[in-house]
Amino acid sequence: MNLPFIKHTLANGLDVIVHEDHGCPIVAVNVWYHVGSKNERPGRTGFAHLFEHLMFEGSQHTNQGYFYPLQQAGAELNGSTNADRTNYWEVVPSSALDLALWMESDRMGHLLPALTREKFENQRDVVLNERRQNYENRPYGMVGMATMEALYPVDHPYSWMTIGRIKDLQAAELDEVRSFFKTFYGPANASLTIAGDVEVDKVLEMAEHYFEEISGGPAPPAVEVEGPLICDERRLLIEDRVELPRLYLAWHSPQLFGPGDAELDLLSDVLSNGKASRLYRTLVHELRLATDVSVVQSSRELSGVFQIVATAAPGHTLRELDDVISIELERVSADELTTDELHRSLVQIETSFVCQLETVGGFGGKSDQLNGYNVVVNDPGYFETDLSRYRNATSATIARISRDHLSDRQRIAVSVVPIGATKLALPDSVVAEVS
Amino acid sequence: MRVDRSRLPEVEPDPSFTFPSVCKVILPNGLSVWSVEHRKIPVVSCLLLLPGGSAEDPMGQAGVTSLTAALLDEGCGKRSGLELHRLLGRLGTQLNVRVGMDATTLRLTMLRRFSNKALSLLAELVGEPRFELEAFDRLRKLRLDRLAQLREVPAAIADRAFAHVLYRDQPYGHLPFGTESAIRRLTRDDIVARHSQAYRPSEAIVILAGDATHAEFEQMAGEAFGDWKAVGTVGQQSERIPHGESKRASLVVWDRPQAAQSELRIGHVAVARNTPDYFPLLVMNTALGGQFTSRINLNLREAKGYTYGAQSSFDFRREPGPFSVQTSVHTDVTANAIQEVLGELHAVRDGRPLTDSEIVHAKRTLTRGYPQGFETANQIVRGLAQLALHDLPHDHFTQFSPSVTAVQSEDIVRVTQTHLDPLHLSTVVVGDLTVIKDGLHDIGLDAPEKIVLP
Repeated sequence: MNLPFIKHTLANGLDVIVHEDHGCPIVAVNVWYHVGSKNERPGRTGFAHLFEHLMFEGSQHTNQGYFYPLQQAGAELNGSTNADRTNYWEVVPSSALDLALWMESDRMGHLLPALTREKFENQRDVVLNERRQNYENRPYGMVGMATMEALYPVDHPYSWMTIGRIKDLQAAELDEVRSFFKTFYGPANASLTIAGDVEVDKVLEMAEHYFEEISGGPAPPAVEVEGPLICDERRLLIEDRVELPRLYLAWHSPQLFGPGDAELDLLSDVLSNGKASRLYRTLVHELRLATDVSVVQSSRELSGVFQIVATAAPGHTLRELDDVISIELERVSADELTTDELHRSLVQIETSFVCQLETVGGFGGKSDQLNGYNVVVNDPGYFETDLSRYRNATSATIARISRDHLSDRQRIAVSVVPIGATKLALPDSVVAEVS
Repeated sequence: MRVDRSRLPEVEPDPSFTFPSVCKVILPNGLSVWSVEHRKIPVVSCLLLLPGGSAEDPMGQAGVTSLTAALLDEGCGKRSGLELHRLLGRLGTQLNVRVGMDATTLRLTMLRRFSNKALSLLAELVGEPRFELEAFDRLRKLRLDRLAQLREVPAAIADRAFAHVLYRDQPYGHLPFGTESAIRRLTRDDIVARHSQAYRPSEAIVILAGDATHAEFEQMAGEAFGDWKAVGTVGQQSERIPHGESKRASLVVWDRPQAAQSELRIGHVAVARNTPDYFPLLVMNTALGGQFTSRINLNLREAKGYTYGAQSSFDFRREPGPFSVQTSVHTDVTANAIQEVLGELHAVRDGRPLTDSEIVHAKRTLTRGYPQGFETANQIVRGLAQLALHDLPHDHFTQFSPSVTAVQSEDIVRVTQTHLDPLHLSTVVVGDLTVIKDGLHDIGLDAPEKIVLP
């Protein structure tokens, strides 16, 4: 099982990666810019994502918006921003590859002449509405902000969420868009993958044709942060318009592809994936203390966060949930995971690796994976190494990583409770300030 | 050679698209087996389509079809639910259960080498579910807790309220998840009865796609499902034919004090999937509100900045489903947003019909992007389930693009006149009534009803 590719770096520093898959007459074009909210500074949070919106508003030579010509050619397209990177993709009929490359290269090379104050202010309104829809007007929606602020020092770029703070978004200036583009959107800070019903040689020629004339300086320096990250236990409280209280536990954990990252992925699966998983079985099925539980190892370039989230059933407190979770984590740390549990999780992960090979485009498709590996570890061929990280994990290595990282004295515990029901929270919780 | 940026590159003619052949056989127990060879990666997708959805929940039992499906994997035959899930886990697969208004689907995707075992487990859990009282009690309680939680999710409340306003106690009047009052009254016997009615091999279809030959698919389906027998008798079939309330204009509000946004649903009962106007309606809606570059989204998002996104859709079901506009807008502009939506609906029908270039744009979007809907085995089985559910012709997928291309602007005018009724729209708002009520008054939407959900 592998994911073959050709990689070629243009003179201007743009990495071009090509993968052939003739299963369907389509081609995926995927561009990663190595910039995200980790490249922002306090006072201007949310900027990388706001900028992503402007990449869809047209560029110098096609000022009718980015969507129109591509949708007319049958494209699916989208983009996303996270802490580490911003990605853009379109999946087009193979007959429209020229158009897709023309469009991507026009916004990489010629975005700013088409930028206006009107577009900027419109997209700021759109983003503020995105924030309202996905955070402010959603139950439990503000807890991520409280968790990140508590987990990281105030000047650490992971201490804010990618969506940003309202006052920062309102303070953003048009001129900052220009300098942001010049600093972070050069070809040397980007990676272009083309995957699908194409021929490698022809695609490399096309990529050179459209992108080689784009000039730009060197890639910006990597973000440096002081480490290691530690925190004492902090217990926070949010009263929210929710029916049931929910506990959010978060720990610092290994960075993306770092030692222990795969172990914690496996552990999250063992703990909460499916009705036979440890925490579902104990909390939801046997003890009926919770209505749901989820666990995730969310790993990023600078560091990771391991998180357990559980909702209390009516009549139960978050302390009861916490007690059961602590006992299960102690068992994991004492190397009590069974061979069968680990085997089941590994088979699921292997299956998902295989299934990812079936689709060329979109978030998580082959083009996105190749770019991800290239940007993070500078090796698009990391697929098999990635999978072997999981195969090499054992209950003993998982136990060791758990002991090292998942202490109940070094974690953030946020209790979200219905308004007025503070007695359901963990004891000694302090009201969190979020906005 | 420098890039010619004076104009966009021409798009070459579309690659031809033909849907792969579907092999159909019927097992001795009456179960239909459809298969597609799709040999890209060593994976098999399986979808079991059962024709009963929540529209067939008996009167007073809103949610029973969905709860029945949710209980299937809580134990079957000699296995407890826990054992069943451990077995599925060892096969690297998970059961995906979806209950819609018209049908129930159970879906599994697994590595080819596990497909025989996984299909046997699927057959066991549809044929011999235990429906133990403990599991029934536990899942019913979880469902009630979830429904309580969803009362604070604006989009979920808006969807529930919209179905209720349009269809009241008709079969499409509640979402598959059900209502608190009905679920509280359900008994285990109701589950057993619903199962014996809806889970019958002669009514079901197994759809398989992936890395095997037709003969291998037939064999694996036969081995797994050959012994599946219906339980009990069909019993009294629901006599209720789903149809909407007679059309009337209305405004209902679910008050959500201090809400940052107002969640909106605006629409009316429209057409069934089998309408002869399906293709013109699809093209019309794509231009009106079906994609990013549609009128409604370009207006509310890109011109006004009222929202993160706005869409319209015809929900094509077995019986007439709704046409609706869905969006979530900043509280301060709630009335303006409603007015803009109403304006767009009036305009597309009467004042400012779709132009030829809008129609061409929509048609190209639909046809040129079509093949990418069939890249994976999962997409293929889900596509075929639609074919089966709506009794569509076997060459529907291959004929899709020619049918869209054949739509004429006169067709669009006709179907817009016939099926879009801006004078009889129901509007649901989940938002802060205190803040928005003056604005609603100003646009002539007075005296909103407060909605009570069952």
